[in-house]
Order: sequence, then C-alpha cells, then structure tokens
Amino acid sequence: MRSSKDKILTTHAGSLSRPANLIAMSRAGAVGKNEDKAAYADRLADAVADVVRRQQELGIDIPDDGEFGKPVAGSYDYGAWWNYAFARMSGFSPAGSPEAAAHETLHKKSSVADVALTSFANRRDWQKFSEFYLDPESSGSLMGSAARRPVGRPACTGPIKYTGHAALQADIANLKKAMTAAGVEEAFMCSIGPGSFARGVDLYYKTEEEFLFASADAMHEEYKAIVEAGIVLQIDDPSLPDNWDMINPEPPLNEFKKFEQVRMEALNHALRGLSADRIRFHICWGSWHGPHTTDIPLKDIVDLVLSVNAGAYSVEAGNVRHEHEWRVWKHTKLPDGKLLIPGVVSHATNIVEHPQVVADRIVRYAQVVGRENVIAGTDCGLGGRVHSQIAWAKLEALAKGAELASKELWR
Amino acid sequence: MKRSRDRIFTTHVGSLPRPKDLVELYRDNSPDSTLFPRLRSAVARVVQEQAHFGIDIVNDGEFGKAMRSAMDFGAWWSYVYPRLAGYELREEEARKGRGAWTFGSKERKEFAEFYAAEASAAATASQGGTSTARLYGLTCTAPVKYTGQEAIQRDIQNLKTALTGAQVEEAFMTAVSPATLQILPNAYYKDREEYTWALAEAIREEYKAIVDAGFILQIDDPALVDIYDWWFSMNDDIAGFRKWAAFQVEAVNHALESIPEDRVRFHICWGSWHGPHKGDVGLKHVVDLLLRIKAQAYVIEAANVRHEHEWKIWRTTKLPEGKVLIPGVVSHATNVVEHPELVADRIVRFAKTIGRENVIAGTDCGLGGRVHPQIAWAKLEALSEGAKLATKELWS
Repeated sequence: MRSSKDKILTTHAGSLSRPANLIAMSRAGAVGKNEDKAAYADRLADAVADVVRRQQELGIDIPDDGEFGKPVAGSYDYGAWWNYAFARMSGFSPAGSPEAAAHETLHKKSSVADVALTSFANRRDWQKFSEFYLDPESSGSLMGSAARRPVGRPACTGPIKYTGHAALQADIANLKKAMTAAGVEEAFMCSIGPGSFARGVDLYYKTEEEFLFASADAMHEEYKAIVEAGIVLQIDDPSLPDNWDMINPEPPLNEFKKFEQVRMEALNHALRGLSADRIRFHICWGSWHGPHTTDIPLKDIVDLVLSVNAGAYSVEAGNVRHEHEWRVWKHTKLPDGKLLIPGVVSHATNIVEHPQVVADRIVRYAQVVGRENVIAGTDCGLGGRVHSQIAWAKLEALAKGAELASKELWR
Repeated sequence: MKRSRDRIFTTHVGSLPRPKDLVELYRDNSPDSTLFPRLRSAVARVVQEQAHFGIDIVNDGEFGKAMRSAMDFGAWWSYVYPRLAGYELREEEARKGRGAWTFGSKERKEFAEFYAAEASAAATASQGGTSTARLYGLTCTAPVKYTGQEAIQRDIQNLKTALTGAQVEEAFMTAVSPATLQILPNAYYKDREEYTWALAEAIREEYKAIVDAGFILQIDDPALVDIYDWWFSMNDDIAGFRKWAAFQVEAVNHALESIPEDRVRFHICWGSWHGPHKGDVGLKHVVDLLLRIKAQAYVIEAANVRHEHEWKIWRTTKLPEGKVLIPGVVSHATNVVEHPELVADRIVRFAKTIGRENVIAGTDCGLGGRVHPQIAWAKLEALSEGAKLATKELWS
C-alpha cells in the first residue's frame, strides 16, 4: 500500500456522485425495466473512466471507481454501499416479499452477549430526536432527514452463497482500465464487512453468529478477487461503531464489546490468507444528517478497530462529533507499519472545508502518529450525501489542504 | 458588560426556535390582541429554557421578530421594515428578486446547480415565502424614519418581565446594522453614502431604546463581510470591498454616537444559509476595520469548516485592551451536535491566544430557523457543557 513518504497522500471513503444518466439507468435496472444491459455496461465503464480521471486531476492520489458499480436509487441515497451486496448473493428473498416484510423488525439475539440490534426507528438517536426525524419541514432542505427513512431490506431465507462474480469482475475491469488510462498507480475498491452485511433479517440460520460467518465466507470471495486484481481492498464496516446506537437501551460496554468482537473475528475470518498490506478498514458512525449524540466514543472501540488484520484504518474525524478524537491516538499507539486515514473533510455540512482547516487537521494527526503514517481522507463517502458540486469542491479542498500540510510537515 | 472573570460565560447569537403556534400566529397575520399575549408567554418560557440549558447571557430568542415558517433565515433583518417609514413596494424591483441586491456572486456562479436545487427545495419547504423573499421590491422612496417605538418597547417589556427571577448573568437584544439596511434599493437619496447615513440615524433610535432599557445591544451585521460575496467577488475586488466596509464602519459608529461602548456587542457572520461558502472573504481582510467599531465585544463565526482556522488571526492581530471576543463554538452549519470536548478545545484555543477573561463562548449565528428546534437546544446544551469543561481546564 502506498504511504505518505515525501508528502501527505490523499484518498476518500469511496462513494462519489454518480452522473444523472447512470442513476436513471441503474434505477430502471433495479426494478427490472432496464432492457439494454449492454448499454448500461458501456455507460458504467465510461463513467468509471471519467471519475478516475477527475479524481486524478483534482489531486486525489489513491482514487476508486466512485462505487459506481453499486447501484443507487437516486441522487440522494445513503444505502448503496450495503444494498449492492444482496444482489451478489443467493439465499435472500427481496425486500417487499412477504417473508421480508413480515420480519422487518425481527432480530435474533446474540448468543455471545446479552444484546440485540433494534430496528432503525427504535434506535436511540431516533428516539431522542424523534420530532426532528419525523418533521416533514426539516426534510425540505438538503440538510433534512427524509433521505434517511427506514427502507425495506431483503431477508435471508436460504444458504448464503456469493454469486456476484460477473458484476465484480466488471467492476475490477472498469477500474483497471480507468487506472491505466489516467496513469494511476494505486486505487482501492470498497466491499462491505460481514458485521455490516449481516444486520439484515435472517430467517434461515440458527444463530446470529452462524449468519455472520456464512456472510463472511461469502464475502471472502469478493475480498480475494479484489486483492488478487492488485487493487487495495477497503472493508466498509460502519456497523462496528454504529451498532451501539442500534441497541436500545444502551448496553453495558463490556457486553457490547463481546457482541462486536465476534464480528471482528468474522471479518478476520473473511480476510484469511490476504495480505494486511493490501487492506484498509473503514468505520464511521452512520452518514445520515442527524445529531449523532449517542455515537459511541472512539476510545471505547479503538482496540477492536486495531484487531482487524488491515494495513490502514479509515476513521471519521472531520465532523463536530468526532473531531476531538485525534487525541485518542496520543494514548493508543498506532502499531508500527499501520496507517491512519482520518476524515479531514466531511459530508456532514454543505460548507466546503477551508484548505487551511484541512491542513490543520492533517498536521494534528501527523504530529501524533508521524507524517508518514497519515493519509488524508474523508469521513464517509460523499456521493449521495451532499450535492455533487459540493462533493467535488470538498475533494478539491482536501487535495489543497494536503499540499499545505505537506509544506508545513516537510519544510 | 459582564465578562468571564472566574469562569467561561456562555451566550448565543440571538435567534432561537419559535414555538409552532407562534409561527402560525405570525403566518396568519393574527391581530395584536391574539399575538401579543402569546408572544409574552413565549418570551418568558424561552428565557427560562436558556437558563435551564446553562446560557449566562440570554435574550428573547428574537421572538418579537416575525418568523412565518419553521425554517426561515431572514427574520433578523426583515423585522425592521414594519418599523421604518420611507419604503414602498416597486414592481420592477420585485421582479428582479434577490437579483436587485447583488452585482453577482462568484460562489453562486461556481455552484449554480447546487443553488438551483436548493432554491427549489426551499420553495417547497416554506410555502409562506421566506422572510427575505417578502422584502423583494421594497425600495426607499422617501426620507427614512424610525417608527418602531411601540414595537421595540413591547419587545423590551416582554424581555424585562421574562427576566424577573431568572438565574442569568445578563441580557442582550439584537438590532440590524446600517450596512445591512443599505442593501435595499434607494430611489430617494442622492447616493449610497447619504442613504446609509440616513439609515444610521434612523436605526439609532432602536439602539438607544435597547441600551436605555439596560440591555446589551447586539448589532447584527452579516453584511459587513457578506457583501464581498454579493458585490465584489466576481472581480476578486478586495480593495473595493475594504473601501466600502471602511465607510460602513464609520456609519455604524455614527449610529452608536453617545451610546457607551461597554453596552454594545457587534456580530458578523458570512450569511447563515446551508451553502458551500467557498466565496467567503477571509476575516484577515477585514479584522482591522472590525476593531474600529465602537463596541466592547465582537461576536464572530468561528465554528464551521470555512472559518474555524481563523482563530490564528488573533495571534498576530492584538485584541485591544478591554475588548471581548465571542467566537462561535457551535454552529448551525451541521445537524451533527458538537461534542462538548470539541467545544472546550475551541474555547481553550481562543483563551490561550487572547486571555480567558476576554472570551465568551457563543454560536456562529442564530440557531432558530436554521436547524430543527431539538437540534438547536442540543447544541446550546453542548455549548454550556463545553464551557464547563474549558473552565475546568483554564482555571485549574
């Protein structure tokens, strides 16, 4: 994996704004109305080529395919990073089917901890700020809440098996072609972690852990293919911090950590045989535009984060709930050879970060963990969470801020 | 004016969330006999709520300034037009909408698609029209005169009554600046300078009423920095902007003539809409002019990602002896509620640069009408929790 040897490198958390015509085609495809699959494949390949070139031109050193191969339902869509995986697995009944609908809020209890996930509407943040979440007027603005209403998920009703080889190989081919065309040395590709994937409804496996490890075995195929293609694998696993808020009432910390530990074990199981140096691990506290006052502090889970066999950790740090947590790294040593990718720009505000704010944030991390161990990133994917013009302006601010920080750190 | 002698005091910029029924009374143009009693009880309650959340220097939430929908960014200046004689509605100006007020903005050009999407979302959200949109077409066609004596006395009485028995340190009341007022088109005075001067003399009456009542006067002057974006950004004309701003500083000082400096705080922000703000002029270009204003305290946006780094300016620009800075340490610019430790970090940064007794912890801009009420109050709670943490660190 590239590291910041003589300047601060830049990357981001994955999702970028899809072009309008790609969204229209992917929406049609999602409801089975896309007659011309070849036209969609061509459009997708072109869009990936464009988005890689644009990242490179803006000064993003380690780009991705914008997650364009993961279909979205509209220009605001917070769930593509998760939903794409259902289409790549067998064993699921679609959302809205009688099986899935009947059990929308059913969750099996964990057999390792005295804890169970609740439904979206019952999570603590939603309960505490229910007036905000239910207020139709607060949804009028782009900062509002309507985009983050609970949506139906497919239910697991049979043995899980990875069936996404063709879609994945197309994504890999699109990205590699785009890299060559743009002269990009290293790129990454996102794939969901088992802990995040196995939050859906399961009607088939006996225990939650069985569901989790079956998901891990299936996802292993995707992870392996990405790494073997020479692309850095990014595991998206917001569930690690985010499950905390999905347990109501607030659980004892030790029970929660037991609950999460088995999820990290499942992830390491899914990563078996793959070089940590080709893997980065992304966590965030959920990307919706809400208050986030019930987010678990990073200090309480940092040991679990570091237990993942990855070479880099991508952590939300560019918003007002988590910005102060750079101090965690004063007390928790980042292990030798590992990299940190803190978010230094965020989807949580429409305001475009001033490059000097970005630089200040980078320098703070560099002074704690060493400049060569920091790559500048984003809190979460920008695509689908802010307007595309703002998303691109934020990536530009990120690159400019990294330049300012490099000047300060290598003078 | 009280200052942070033995702990960090807290305040905010002014606008707080209105109760739903008060918004409806304004929206429906309810008669005074219905509106006024409800206004009085709402002000009493909002003072209690501020005390409850640990705010030391409180206000009336600007409830006397009409807001006709829950999300509304413009009440802080639209309130004054029913209190001013000399304006009439001109159709040809109204047709231009916001265009009548600006010479073009670089930011709005760069982010045209975003602003178009935002305008249609905002139109859906506030069917009654925003406070700002109600001003489209208003034009000065006769001598400007302050006629709001009754309205300001009503607001003063409501706040005085509300303060009886409240556990707070001090109270403030907001009023708009001459620089803001001169945005509306002028068809009467010979030039912008004469127009601004007349506005300064008119609005002085409101300033005096507030100070005479024993309250701290807060002058709201987003225009002082924001006009760069509206008028000067297309040509990157910093020099032209500074010349304009220098005159506006003279005008506001003229309005403040005979008002003691230690009863005045002066607020600037770069406009509170949820946009990219990439075109905001840097504080460094205007800080020297700001410090010429005859106010004891300066209330400045500092808690959002476009301006957070500007605390460093105070390392090189000395805050004059006796003055107070009220930086924003929580902001309306994000729905995420600031972590109290982040709030404390921000306060400590300022305190270490200019001295702890010269810092009062504030907000970027008014929270009311800009974020959901539940989030607004959670942010004020985070503000006072953060101030407590900072106090511990600074007085340990």
